[in-house]
Amino acid sequence: MRPDLVRFAHWLARDRAIAEDIVQEALLRAWRSREALKDPSAARAWLLTIVRREHARLYERKRLELVSLDEVMETQASPQPAEPDGNLFALRHAIMRLPIEYREPLLLQVVGGLSTEEIARELALSGTAVLTRLFRARNKLRVICGLTPAPDVAPDAAVAGRESTP
Amino acid sequence: MNCDEARLLIGADPGVTTTALEEHLRGCAACAGFRRETRALDADIRRALERPPDLARSRAAVRPPAWRQWALAASVALAAFVALGVWVLRPSDTLAREVVAHVQSEPESWLATEHVTAAGIEHALRGAGVQLAITSERIRYAQSCWFRGHYVPHLVLETARGEVTVLLLRHEHVSARRAFHEAGMTGVIVPAERGSIAVLARGGGDIDDIARAMQRDVRWLPGNP
Repeated sequence: MRPDLVRFAHWLARDRAIAEDIVQEALLRAWRSREALKDPSAARAWLLTIVRREHARLYERKRLELVSLDEVMETQASPQPAEPDGNLFALRHAIMRLPIEYREPLLLQVVGGLSTEEIARELALSGTAVLTRLFRARNKLRVICGLTPAPDVAPDAAVAGRESTP
Repeated sequence: MNCDEARLLIGADPGVTTTALEEHLRGCAACAGFRRETRALDADIRRALERPPDLARSRAAVRPPAWRQWALAASVALAAFVALGVWVLRPSDTLAREVVAHVQSEPESWLATEHVTAAGIEHALRGAGVQLAITSERIRYAQSCWFRGHYVPHLVLETARGEVTVLLLRHEHVSARRAFHEAGMTGVIVPAERGSIAVLARGGGDIDDIARAMQRDVRWLPGNP
């Protein structure tokens, strides 16, 4: 479980050392508040949300210096040394380039396995906003993979449609 | 449900299925195609996220001079040539094969010509629970790499027989020494106080003395990082 938490934190923070610190602190917090975990089967989602909050808290507390990812990526000489699959390498970097408001729900969904409703609760957003962010995150990644981006859709109309479905 | 509604749902969660969505897809080939594309994309996204990002390495990297790119190409060509000319004994187990694959995935590690800073070494060892009793001047490359679900120190050391790669595998246990030859590399995995140590060198030759030295010079700290 710990490697999964570190991986999640690493994708959030984009820094290995900070990710380790976040997970360390998150596990301490989890241990202290273990009584709050009523359902052991929900431990994974519970730990992931603690890691996410610790990540947010760390940035609020320390106001960590932000690094221009464009500059970082420009220094990369070639994708081949780090990732034999060039397309996958480009996709990984595109995910890293996603703004946090798109990257975070995507990570919670794909890595954390959270539903749209759970993500909405965790991020204190409406379901509409979560759907829109997830849609836009994938839409940005479509371009990297050579697919035609979908036209941005009107979230209100779409969500109304979703809520009407059985 | 119209096309905009369908595409928002699919784009937000390609695995979602609702009665209204399925009904729409049955009558709309364009949206059905959009879902096929998005599901394929999502499979790639999941593959991409299976590993942590390699940003730390990217940050440390600088655009290499042209001669280094040529050197990289030459070393790859040389490795391929040696692999053809040398008797290749495939690794007898998955661990050895994965060690070789990992080293092959980082060919730039062999080309490092400058000593690693103390901070760089500390970064590579941090979290692995190990200390080294060797001088930093001998270390040409040090990274903390994702390997079989854990971060492991990946070092390239300068030795009397040239550069050798060392992976400190705290979580991989072997009962006895295992030697292998693969892709122009000679390797050995030896048991350690905690886990095991993999040592690889390009070409042939005896590296058991280096493996023994690493067994002596690596100090495994207590605990389970």
